[in-house]
Amino acid sequence: MTFKALGSLVLAVAVAMLSMPADAQGPIRIGASLSLTGTYAKLGKNQHEGYQLCIKDLNAKGGLLGRKAELVMYDDQSLPATAVRLYEKLITEDKVDAVMGPYSSPVSEAAANVTEKYKKVMVAPLAATTSIFKKGRKYIFMVITPAEAYLEGLIDMAAKRGLKTVAVINEDTLFSKAAASGAVELAKKKGMQVVYQEAYPKGNTDFSALLTKVRAANPDVIAAGTYFDDAVALTRQMKELNVNPKMYGVTVGGDLPEFYDVLKQNAEFIYGATQWEHTLPYPGNQEFFDAYKKEFNHEPSYHSAAGYAGCTIYAEAVKRAGSLDADRVREQLLKLETKTIFGEYKVDQDGFQTAHKMVTFQWQGEKKITVWPDDLAQAKPRFPTPPWNQR
Amino acid sequence: MTVVLTPEMVGQVLISGVLSGALYAMVALGLALIYGVMRVINIAHGPMLMLGAYVTFFLYSRTGMNPLLTVPVAMAALFVVGVVLQRTLVFRVVDAPELSSLLLTFGISIALVNLAQNAFTSDLRSVEYITGSWLIGNFALSKPRFIAFVFAAAMTGVAFLFLKATRLGKAIRATSQSREVAMVCGIDVARIHLLTFGLASALAAGGGALLAVIVAIQPEMGGVWTFKSFLVIVLGGAGNYPGALLGGLLLGLVEQLASLFLTTQLSEVVAYVLLVLVLLVRPTGLLGGRQT
Repeated sequence: MTFKALGSLVLAVAVAMLSMPADAQGPIRIGASLSLTGTYAKLGKNQHEGYQLCIKDLNAKGGLLGRKAELVMYDDQSLPATAVRLYEKLITEDKVDAVMGPYSSPVSEAAANVTEKYKKVMVAPLAATTSIFKKGRKYIFMVITPAEAYLEGLIDMAAKRGLKTVAVINEDTLFSKAAASGAVELAKKKGMQVVYQEAYPKGNTDFSALLTKVRAANPDVIAAGTYFDDAVALTRQMKELNVNPKMYGVTVGGDLPEFYDVLKQNAEFIYGATQWEHTLPYPGNQEFFDAYKKEFNHEPSYHSAAGYAGCTIYAEAVKRAGSLDADRVREQLLKLETKTIFGEYKVDQDGFQTAHKMVTFQWQGEKKITVWPDDLAQAKPRFPTPPWNQR
Repeated sequence: MTVVLTPEMVGQVLISGVLSGALYAMVALGLALIYGVMRVINIAHGPMLMLGAYVTFFLYSRTGMNPLLTVPVAMAALFVVGVVLQRTLVFRVVDAPELSSLLLTFGISIALVNLAQNAFTSDLRSVEYITGSWLIGNFALSKPRFIAFVFAAAMTGVAFLFLKATRLGKAIRATSQSREVAMVCGIDVARIHLLTFGLASALAAGGGALLAVIVAIQPEMGGVWTFKSFLVIVLGGAGNYPGALLGGLLLGLVEQLASLFLTTQLSEVVAYVLLVLVLLVRPTGLLGGRQT
């Protein structure tokens, strides 16, 4: 036997041994339900793609604990009750090895009851409501900035420009309510007066009466706790009813490219809050953006990035724990301090996010331009927003 | 915190109520026709509206056709779909117990929504045609909603004229009053059923095509319209065609006024409370139901 032949034999054995655990145990199955249809479909789909890309990258780098990872995905139709059923199914029937969070606060809140019951760690990358994490739950982890901070940039900019009155409206669901109450508190703290406040039901498409009242209150600022559909409908009807605040900002939905596609130039001047932009200087962010665009033929939204980051954070904790055991992974997730493509990650003892930062943008010339906070701003906001008939 | 209500605001909201009421009336008239003639409660009525909206969207985005000109195209297309559905499926349940027709149309509805999700995806689409408003004094008249109102009112008028004055329309009403007598008089009842389902689907599609200019569209947009149409025809009197008109306007106004005086959240509650009240006081609807 020549030296070379011996070398290749050793190599072959080494490769065989290394790849053995993967073959012997099969892939690690990670389950989740996402809003692929229904009210949150657009946003849930982006999160799904974030998960898919994360799993793909993970497997390209050798998988998790030497095993391939694989996604088991169901559609919860944006309904919390359906998500509860699906997480039960994932854990008890499909017997998945791990779970990831669904889309939105209301759905995550419902699903968390199931994952807690079975002691499954759930990184919930798109649950932004504080209360979900402050109920003594042990196994749920937050990735994004809490809902209460979404409208902080808008209110802060308004106060700095001497605006005095604000109307706060919101969809009457967990996240939007929290965003609205955050805005109200912040406005009061900054000495602004909240002249109008009203919630509307999920799925509402006619805002005539609500906006008539807002118009009568004549606020300088309209701060809206929205998702995508209602943000679009609200904007259209503001134009129809000639409601002209000096600043108008929405929460979720306003940051999607589709927001501009649907509203065209009517989206100009609108402020939105985002957890993430591809232009922000986070490690691997540009590579993620390019890979995502190539894979799915459209640009990622922050929901995509949060999904991706949530999945990498979970994977990192598993690697550090060297196991899929819920309590050991939980320990690592509590200790972990890292910076992903999505920005900072660090949680307190309740799994509540404390490090991640948000930015506020404004639609300017078909583009989202970061205008707040000052140290990350790409340009100054175009202020004040001109009345509809002068655009 | 609450806003002081002025007569102006009430006026503004009344305008909005009438504008949306006409659309309700037009769509509900379709549902009333099917129920009146065949005693079938068509749960798939809303999804037909959704398909109409997509016809407008695709014609507008692919060919650049004026959205208002797409309305008749959407109506014609869905007329055909309606006839085919009646011919292949719905005719089987016309004489069956009402539960069968409910189940069948419910099934059709689920199938249509899911087909649309697969074919068109659940992305929101919109037709940015005319946006904004005309300002008349202190009142804002929404351009897209006003145009939709004019179209809906015109089409509802034409439909009424058709039912009232033409031989076919009379045949439809005759069949609705008594199928047996109509048959004895030489009316081809099966053909009338085809026509009715087609016409009703066309009315829904017209509503959808107009809605496409007002709101963003997606495959699940129809569901709420099935329920609203249902509410409208029960309010007005099931199977009573002028009742659909009255019910539509009433629903539009009640929704808006409730949103104004109470909150947007309560407007739906008020609409359904009204329904319960009407059923308690006048079980046959405001204008009386179909005589049996």
